[in-house]
Amino acid sequence: MAIVTSYSNKKFLILDDMPEMRSTLRAQVGSLGCQNVAVSGTVKEALEQVQNGKFDVILCDYYLGPTTDGQHFLEYLRSRNIISRSTLFIMITAEKTYEKVVSAAECLPDDYLLKPFTAETLQVRLERLLEKKSRMAKIDALQDKGQWADVIKACDEMIATPDRYLIDAMRVRGNALLACGRNAEAAKFYTEALAMRSMPWATLGLARAQHAQGDVETCKETLNVLIAESPQFLSAYDLLGRAHLESGQADDALKVLDQACLIAPSSIARNRAIAKVAEGQSDFARVELALSQVVKKTRNSPLRETADIARLGNALTELGEPDQAIALIEEAKKNFKNDLSDPHLASIEALAQKKAGRPELAGKALARALENQHGALPQEVSMSLAKACLANGQQDAGEKILKSIVQTHPDSTAVHALVTDVMREHGSADRAQALIDNGVKEVIALNNEAVRRGKAGQLGEAATMLAEAAHRLPGNVQIVSNAAFALLLDIYTNGLDSAKLRDAEQFENGVRSLNAEHPKLADIAELRRRIRGKFAQANAESEAR
Amino acid sequence: MSFLDLAALSIHDVKNRLAALAARAEVKGDSETLNDALRAAAELSRLLACYKADAGQLGAQIDANCPAELVTDLVAENRPLAGQEVKVDGEHLPDLWFYDDNLVRMVLANALQNALRFTRQHVTFRVSASADWLEFGITDDGDGYPDELLADPMRSSSMSHQGVGIGLYLAHKVAALHRNHGLAGSVELHNDGGAVFTLRLPK
Repeated sequence: MAIVTSYSNKKFLILDDMPEMRSTLRAQVGSLGCQNVAVSGTVKEALEQVQNGKFDVILCDYYLGPTTDGQHFLEYLRSRNIISRSTLFIMITAEKTYEKVVSAAECLPDDYLLKPFTAETLQVRLERLLEKKSRMAKIDALQDKGQWADVIKACDEMIATPDRYLIDAMRVRGNALLACGRNAEAAKFYTEALAMRSMPWATLGLARAQHAQGDVETCKETLNVLIAESPQFLSAYDLLGRAHLESGQADDALKVLDQACLIAPSSIARNRAIAKVAEGQSDFARVELALSQVVKKTRNSPLRETADIARLGNALTELGEPDQAIALIEEAKKNFKNDLSDPHLASIEALAQKKAGRPELAGKALARALENQHGALPQEVSMSLAKACLANGQQDAGEKILKSIVQTHPDSTAVHALVTDVMREHGSADRAQALIDNGVKEVIALNNEAVRRGKAGQLGEAATMLAEAAHRLPGNVQIVSNAAFALLLDIYTNGLDSAKLRDAEQFENGVRSLNAEHPKLADIAELRRRIRGKFAQANAESEAR
Repeated sequence: MSFLDLAALSIHDVKNRLAALAARAEVKGDSETLNDALRAAAELSRLLACYKADAGQLGAQIDANCPAELVTDLVAENRPLAGQEVKVDGEHLPDLWFYDDNLVRMVLANALQNALRFTRQHVTFRVSASADWLEFGITDDGDGYPDELLADPMRSSSMSHQGVGIGLYLAHKVAALHRNHGLAGSVELHNDGGAVFTLRLPK
């Protein structure tokens, strides 16, 4: 190789559960001249190291003992953006054909290294991968920042002068088109790529584009062809499951996810997906089956999620096993102090204790749940909390929460149906319709009143009203986006106000986290630009004077 | 637990031991032991791949790969004995071709090792590309393939002959997994002043 990288300034992390392999790897990395090497024997340790500093290269063994593996670790790191795209992640495995299942592209390692290998092989691989990283550095940095339009431009430059990274650039380009909602363009791009030859990633991209354009049936056809051609391509099952679910075919969705589980039985993500679908079907035996596997695998690992315990506890309670649910929750609370104050877990505990015939303990758990409901709770958590209130005789508190769920989704009949179900279960079906109607009416009236005041020139009043509502209903994307817009319009018209600017920014971020492609975001950005222009000009004028 | 699962688990274990052995040998500069450990591990991988092929579970994961890198690596990893040499014949290769890198390396490493075992002096590793095909040719100057192997290369009795092993059988299976636009990969064996192994992969 012409250029030999200096490794003395590169930071390495080695993760392997076998002490002998760790020292072997360490010696091999050391022989490349690298001195900055961290070594871990467990995911927990490795995670702490990754969170405390940036690594250039992570060498991770696929097999990490009976409960976890390198793929789970990588999925965790990538899904939470704990490592950036500039970190090289290399999976070390004994048998590629056995272990490599194709998961979502963003959860693939940069490369696989087959055991045994020599220090020389390691060096050759590292040289190539680091060369590729440096060629892709600009695009990776733009992707990390989510600047999709610039990503596309940078990819176009690479594609115009094709080299060995052509396919890498094409994959990123397609992904970027989808990420910024240029779906028709994405579909065309993938179709052209597929004319070159069949490539599973391009077929999946095409299916994603069809899905994003709302063409669910064509999307399903594309995915069925893909699965027939590349049965190992797990992302295809995930999207197909979603598509079935969206067209109301929950049974088909479960079938597809089960099929995927046969190929990758240890997949935590897929078992979670199965549990979610089954929960929607009130098939709690299925939920229990899927989530007990997840919990078994993640129980004492940092990859655990409290929501898994809560959902499993809920399923056990629904199946008439509240004591099992309580034991599960107690174990979690004992081992993880954050779980002590988790409102989701406390709500399920309250439901389980009530069902087990211990109303006092149920009341205590409910009080803990209500104390800890800070900020915008996910809908699932609010719903559990409402159920726990209703089950424990706190009718008013429960209905208040249900009303805010309705007001967060005033247009969603699916959410309204869920609210009706909960109320029916607790014997107040007769009040459900009125609660929903009033909730929706209030939101509409509020929006209308804000518009009226805005038109009457009372921009400050309109903004205050909407901001107050947005604080109360942080999950209602229409209200939150209108609040951001109204605040900025007030600022544009009546002058800068730092408190209002701060609120507007908070709401804008709120909209982005609810729906990054919400159309109002473009209007908000334009208004911001005009505010900058107007007040920069005013500043300049006052300075000139 | 199926045989495949058991086999994969014990192969994993054996490979870890071989990896430790290889690492110790590498530290000591004992290249003979190092090579034996690497070859033994490769043989195990081929065995597992053959089993999967027979069970219909060997899927090719076809991606864009760089043929020039593959050739460089294989030559570097399979050094000839004293008095032998490997000549590479391949220029103007395309940057990218579509194949399963892992499986194709497995097949070509085996063919190259066979050639080095039976050659007198010279092994030629040839690569060329046309619009539709990438062709690898490995030629030695030994006695050539026995007639019964040429007559029926997939028959198992001829495979054990001269210790050619399971590699050729696997080569046919792997080639057939490479398909595009109605074209399928192939393996061809013939004699021309020695054994000539040819693997053709469609784009």
